[in-house]
Amino acid sequence: MAHAIWSGAINFGLVTIPVKLFTAVRSRSSDLSFNFIHKKDDSRIRYRTFCEREDKEVPRSEIVRGYEYEKGEWVTFSDDELKRLDAENTQSVDIVQFCDLDEINPMFFDTPYYLEPEKKGSHAYALLREALRAANKVGIAKVVLRNREHLAAVKPNGDALVLELMHFNDELVDQSDFAFPPLKAEVPPAEMKVAKLLIDTMTSEFKPEVFEDTYREKLLALVEARARGKSVPAARAKTPEATNVVNLMDVLQRSIEESKKGRSSTGAGKKSAAKKTRKRSAA
Amino acid sequence: MIFPKDGITKGQLIDYYRAVAPYILPYTKGRPLTLERYPNGVDKAGWWEKQIPKGLPDWVPTVKVKTEYGRHAGDGVEFMLCDDEATLAYVANLAGITLHVWTSRQPKLDHPDFLLVDLDRGDGCTLATMCSVALLFRDTVEEIGLKALVKTTGGSGLHVIVPLEPHYDYEFIKGFSELLGRRIHEQAPDTTTLERSVRRRPSGTVYLDYVQVGRGKTLVPPFAVRARDGAPVSFPLTWPQLEKLRKKRVPDPSTEWERWSLETVPALLRKNGDAWKGQWRGQRLERALQKARKLWG
Repeated sequence: MAHAIWSGAINFGLVTIPVKLFTAVRSRSSDLSFNFIHKKDDSRIRYRTFCEREDKEVPRSEIVRGYEYEKGEWVTFSDDELKRLDAENTQSVDIVQFCDLDEINPMFFDTPYYLEPEKKGSHAYALLREALRAANKVGIAKVVLRNREHLAAVKPNGDALVLELMHFNDELVDQSDFAFPPLKAEVPPAEMKVAKLLIDTMTSEFKPEVFEDTYREKLLALVEARARGKSVPAARAKTPEATNVVNLMDVLQRSIEESKKGRSSTGAGKKSAAKKTRKRSAA
Repeated sequence: MIFPKDGITKGQLIDYYRAVAPYILPYTKGRPLTLERYPNGVDKAGWWEKQIPKGLPDWVPTVKVKTEYGRHAGDGVEFMLCDDEATLAYVANLAGITLHVWTSRQPKLDHPDFLLVDLDRGDGCTLATMCSVALLFRDTVEEIGLKALVKTTGGSGLHVIVPLEPHYDYEFIKGFSELLGRRIHEQAPDTTTLERSVRRRPSGTVYLDYVQVGRGKTLVPPFAVRARDGAPVSFPLTWPQLEKLRKKRVPDPSTEWERWSLETVPALLRKNGDAWKGQWRGQRLERALQKARKLWG
């Protein structure tokens, strides 16, 4: 199981429920990241920081952060100064109010986390979960993660309480910025009927497991194939190891045969070398 | 002070490389050289240097390597060649702690003269496992009529090497290295892995890295110093030595390999010489492949 992000507590009123916080979304992009590689020699490409004015490499110690408050004008800050703004790591989920789940536009929800009770908090945890479920309510809470205070909802989810980080109001782009057709637009009843029928026939239970990230699958297959030294045909079944050794030996043998014929697959393109080979295998 | 924890100065690095010059030069001669430089000490950032540094004295031999494809050909990259003691001292003076050399040498830069599998230690892999896998490599190539050599990497792993005639191109050697890697993994599926992703390697295994030979790829030659605390040195071993080491119960091979360092190696060489002396003979692979097809097919 994953490590807890922190051990702390859910607080509301005078109640404290000791919990651990776990991530509920597996980051799958991290194992598929690419490095930049120099094409001709497989060396890693690295970045060097340099000063634009002096055209000179600049060490880490001479670099500060600057905010461009006006075109071409910066105010600069040291890391220490910025650190002072960090929220105190409270390791707590402070519920400030409860509200109906349906009141919250789902667009506000961002990233879910699991809240797991410590042993001694089990009873209170179950109580909060059942009460929320019975009332169809969620808790609105403040929580500090990675030095920033976030808005979050505490929601019952089966046997779990889930902490779902939420966007702040001003983070969401205003819908009225766009040209959507007015809500009361007249729709001819016949067309409406057909549209509804189509929707009905395409309706089935939502099974998330049916949907796969095919890009990822294809990319993994491609990486696998490349790593085996084969060229690209993706998504091929794995050949068992034993056949691999045999295949490899066949490929190598063919390479030798070809070089004997003067095509330089083993690099034995020079006639003398090729001749030597022939003599040896004849001997 | 380039090894601050060990109190080793750049002067000592220069002295070291001059002392081992007769031993290291046979392995660096004619091979394009890349340097790992740490002028501010190994605890500060260093960098890799391929192209000849600015202000290179004209007595240092160099080689211009053209890029493979016409479009990018241009002038190519100019590398140093570490062919003599003076160059070695010059390189050490640049705080070029670790030398890395090509797997081929002038004038046959497209034909590597050895085959290499890097035995990379995974978490939890003991000295005994590391040695067993190296010995299995020796037995595997012996089975098909080839002789192998072994050296420490200076880290926690071993390099196993088959010296070759410079006759085969990189593709062929890559293929042959892969063949050996796969064969060994078949023989020792529990103690070896071919998994490239470090995270997915099973613990207690040796990673058989068989993609170490290629145009522009480099190897740390024997007697090169590694840029780590303790100034460990990549050191050639004999097979009987390795058989003895296999019996030791040591959780991490590097605690054994650390014996060979900048401070100990010159005296050891004066006393015992180079374990590989007279062993580096160019071998051909045609027969070996025939044998392999018969035995492993």
